[in-house]
Amino acid sequence: MRDDDTATDGAGKTADREYIRSPPERAPTVEYDLSTRVGNALPTPARAAKYAVAIALALLWILPFIGLLMASFRPLSEILAGWWHLGEITVTLENYQKALEFQTTPMDRAMLNTFIVTLPSVLVVTLLGAMAAYPFARFDFPLKKTLFFLIIMVMAAPPELVAMGNYNTLRSTGLFDTYLGLILVHIGWGMGWVVLFLRNYLLGIPEELEEAARIDGASRYQIFRTIILPLSAPALVSVAVIQFTWVWNAFFFPLVFLRSSDLYVAPQVLPLMKGRLQIDWGLVAAGSVMTMLVPVLLFAFLQRYYKRGMVAAVAD
Amino acid sequence: MSFEDSPGSTDSTGVFDADVDWAKVKAMAVFLIPGLSLFAIFSVGPMAYSAVGSFFSWDAFDIAQFVGLDNWIETLTDPLVLNVDNLLSFTFPMGALPQNLLWMVIHVPVSTLLGLGLALLFADLRGRRILRSLVFVGFTTPTVVIGLILLFIYDPDAGLFNAALAAVGLDGMTRNWLQEPQLAIYALIAGGIWVQTGFSMLLYSSALAAIDPSLLESARVDGAGPFRRFRDIIWPLIKPVTAVVVIMGMIWVLRIFAIVYAAGGPSGGPNHVFSVLGLEVYRAAFEVPVEYGKAMTIALIELILAAPMAWYIADME
Repeated sequence: MRDDDTATDGAGKTADREYIRSPPERAPTVEYDLSTRVGNALPTPARAAKYAVAIALALLWILPFIGLLMASFRPLSEILAGWWHLGEITVTLENYQKALEFQTTPMDRAMLNTFIVTLPSVLVVTLLGAMAAYPFARFDFPLKKTLFFLIIMVMAAPPELVAMGNYNTLRSTGLFDTYLGLILVHIGWGMGWVVLFLRNYLLGIPEELEEAARIDGASRYQIFRTIILPLSAPALVSVAVIQFTWVWNAFFFPLVFLRSSDLYVAPQVLPLMKGRLQIDWGLVAAGSVMTMLVPVLLFAFLQRYYKRGMVAAVAD
Repeated sequence: MSFEDSPGSTDSTGVFDADVDWAKVKAMAVFLIPGLSLFAIFSVGPMAYSAVGSFFSWDAFDIAQFVGLDNWIETLTDPLVLNVDNLLSFTFPMGALPQNLLWMVIHVPVSTLLGLGLALLFADLRGRRILRSLVFVGFTTPTVVIGLILLFIYDPDAGLFNAALAAVGLDGMTRNWLQEPQLAIYALIAGGIWVQTGFSMLLYSSALAAIDPSLLESARVDGAGPFRRFRDIIWPLIKPVTAVVVIMGMIWVLRIFAIVYAAGGPSGGPNHVFSVLGLEVYRAAFEVPVEYGKAMTIALIELILAAPMAWYIADME
């Protein structure tokens, strides 16, 4: 992404040009007075208005999240009166306490479950996906076209389409309602886009290095380990970040494949917090904040990879 | 040792020839088989299973007999999927299929245009990274949380939306938006747009950043106003991205599940007024009475709607 600003200090530039046309004998005596200099440094009214609109819109976009955060730290009575009333604010950790003691599945347990499911799903799909992407990018093999077709189909398909088959597969293998069953479903589901994404990335890496290594007698496994994997590191990070977010946030697959409450993952627990009568917004908000904190922090720290991956994954 | 590694040097029947490079075949198998077998077992297999199963009757989770198009006819005449009477009078519930398509028709153009607008607005501002991240953050949030946030915003007591309406003097408009049969789906669509705009803004931003600034500069020098610059320079260059944004938006809407589930439970709101196809699959397959054939048929309808778009994207390469 380009980061230079082209529209700055227009006045200064025209002044410079005057001097170049007729080189001065001595240093210029004309000094801008303070108000001119301040005026030049400040944006024009039109530009200031643009900033105001942009900032207002961006704030409007995160307003619901601000509300969620506020609600998670305030008692229910204040939330019901409106979290945006800032007159009397009582900050309390009670909601988080309740979330951590939530009877169906305590939030700390649910977060741990989510990690247990997410980490292997991400690591395995990244490694196996990279391995499969390598022949896709470099060699021809039978059924390659068909495999492409299938990958595209799976990428277009809704997750519900594979739920019935996987339900029966996991039932008959005894993997239903286990971490491993859900992990395998996530890996199988993510494999398609990961292979396609990494294959596109590998096509952009010149082949000369690999050819040189071949002449030096390196095996294909060595080439993969010492050349392909290190060179595709940025793409692997992108894949891992996006896949992590997807698996962490996933709701449908856990809902179908995990039935014991002590295995529930965090997104699965949140709708249960609504309760039956009056919704305890503080509890729901605290649980939501805890759940979304992980992908949002990951996005904040690895934005570059996330955005690049998002753009490449769909734009290629 | 042979060097037949470059693409195209071995034709697809090469493996069956006598002078096969067995080391290469073995290496390719080692690379391909682990990943592709998981892909086959947990993605392709179940898809084929659904495709075949939609033509069979089911005894709960067990396949029974071939019944031809029975499931398809039954599904398409099920008022939960397609309620023709209500559709003609445009009264909710119209069934999950029209509701899902209505969602798409509103959601995709609005989120695309908003994303383009924000990308253009932020393009040359300082701090645009932060502005973009603020708009995009909803897209990284679990969709369940999005659904719960919508429930919270539209709540009659604690909701910001009603308070905002009251604040601008529209007291008469305040209501429990997600319980209003004829309005609830629009309230949810607005939430979907809120999330998806971040995604389209991100794609447009990177397309805008790739435009050579000297092009715009010379157009400016030649006296082209902002509108001409947009129409003649920017738009032709970001058109391919628009196709991607639109198609990804359509696929996103077809896959909607957690937002609706969190906001209205598995039934999709009171009397299914904002049910979508995903919810119908879930209820048919995993709530009693189990109707596997119907679930598979609805899921296949989703695929039939999404597949041409995926092909369009794949063809663009």
